[in-house]
Amino acid sequence: MDLQQGSIKDLWKAIYNTGDLHHCFNCSTCLSGCPASHGDPPLLVRNLARKVILGLEEELLNDDTPWACVSCSKCEEMCPMDVKPFEMILAIRQWQSANDETRVPPSIVEIYKRGYTQAVGVNTDLRDKLGLPELKTITNNPEQLQFFREMLMKTPVVSANDYMFGG
Amino acid sequence: MELCLFLGCNTPAIRPDVERAIRATMPVLGIDLVDSDNYVCCPAFGAFPSTDIDSWLATSGWNLSIAEEKGCDFVVQCGSCYSSLRMGREHMMHHADKMARVNELLEPTGRTVTGKSKVRHVSEVLYKEIGPETIAGQVKKSLKGLHGIVQYPCHTLFPSEVVGFEESARAPKGMRQLVEALGATVDSYSRELQCCGGAGGFMKSTPEQAIEFAKTKFDAILDETKADFIAVSCITCLMHMENVQNTLNKRVGEERYKIPVFDYNQLLALCLGFDPKQVASICNVSRDSVLSRI
Ligand code: SF4
Ligand code: SF4
Ligand code: SF4
Ligand code: SF4
Repeated sequence: MDLQQGSIKDLWKAIYNTGDLHHCFNCSTCLSGCPASHGDPPLLVRNLARKVILGLEEELLNDDTPWACVSCSKCEEMCPMDVKPFEMILAIRQWQSANDETRVPPSIVEIYKRGYTQAVGVNTDLRDKLGLPELKTITNNPEQLQFFREMLMKTPVVSANDYMFGG
Repeated sequence: MELCLFLGCNTPAIRPDVERAIRATMPVLGIDLVDSDNYVCCPAFGAFPSTDIDSWLATSGWNLSIAEEKGCDFVVQCGSCYSSLRMGREHMMHHADKMARVNELLEPTGRTVTGKSKVRHVSEVLYKEIGPETIAGQVKKSLKGLHGIVQYPCHTLFPSEVVGFEESARAPKGMRQLVEALGATVDSYSRELQCCGGAGGFMKSTPEQAIEFAKTKFDAILDETKADFIAVSCITCLMHMENVQNTLNKRVGEERYKIPVFDYNQLLALCLGFDPKQVASICNVSRDSVLSRI
């Protein structure tokens, strides 16, 4: 994405291209049930919506608070103007990740390498003791894992940062 | 009825006794479970959904193709997995261009996705498909005399348009009725619908505040209820609500927070007569006070 081209006035199109965003009238309903609004610094969805609409590029790039979201979607439920604030949070993270590689979450490398964020299927003794079957994981299926990786290679985040996924 | 079991990562890796409880109980109630071979991470919201639409939906599409191939719907316990799969499917169903792009990405892998398989939460299957009366009729060992409180997984409530199954997401009834079906008394309290705060980056980015936030909930439970146990239906709620109690005890210097936490299917398994060693053996807050009374 070339940020030089679009004027900052239209930054919202690069981040969260939906007309609904402009219906936000700062009511703060999205904050009332938000767990992460209790953080320090607090995640203030209302302010993020403002920053996107106003096109405050620097501020948005350096804002860590979208990553404190617990994904509970209460804001999404409560927002009276259908801004879909949780989707906006994800959109801001996507835009940050695309413009600053240090934002790319390490968990996607785990998923690329073994299919999961946790080591699934290696606790065979414990599983056995509990009477559980062996899991047919993708980690243990080289052919399927290769298919999965090749698919991901064609997606923006993996192709743009392929050095992270080497080996 | 057949359902395809989507386990996610945390349950099979860290809390396989919950997996055991699900696998033990559902067939008793008429739900046959089929395994999801070669599934991958749902994807978690903090992973591909935070980087770009293609990698997010391609990963959802990979998983959905597994259930479609088996010809049934998914059943999921982890709240985040449930919500992520529902949202991914919703995006594809409402945007033909996104569905087409996902199929283009899936094509070389020999997979396709149409959206014909739905994604269901285990508590919804228990509540709507099976029903509290049927469950009550199967109980061999009741929870009579015990008080519990329920933690509704927010990921099954909000946004109700995408993930919901309750008549009102603001006054949900499912978990309460399911626990009552096992014979327990379910106490209400002021912060019943407050999120546990355990998912996503809140705990990672500002742990102090996240623990304080959880404390308000636990203080309300202690002050307002006679809870002998907490029933959840999400692996993150389960692990977080145990861990936070231990952290809080260290802070206050006494064992004030020690309410056992169970996944609903674990309680159900115990009431159906399954061996606690298999279905409820892994915990960070002792469950003896409850297990000794069932
Ligand atoms: S609830 Fe919706 S309209 Fe109100 S401030 Fe938040 S995003 Fe804007
Ligand atoms: S989804 Fe995120 S931003 Fe919205 S209320 Fe929950 S934690 Fe806050
Ligand atoms: S949401 Fe969590 S448990 Fe579920 S698959 Fe993703 S990382 Fe694993
Ligand atoms: S209470 Fe917390 S962990 Fe549980 S579903 Fe809600 S956000 Fe997820």
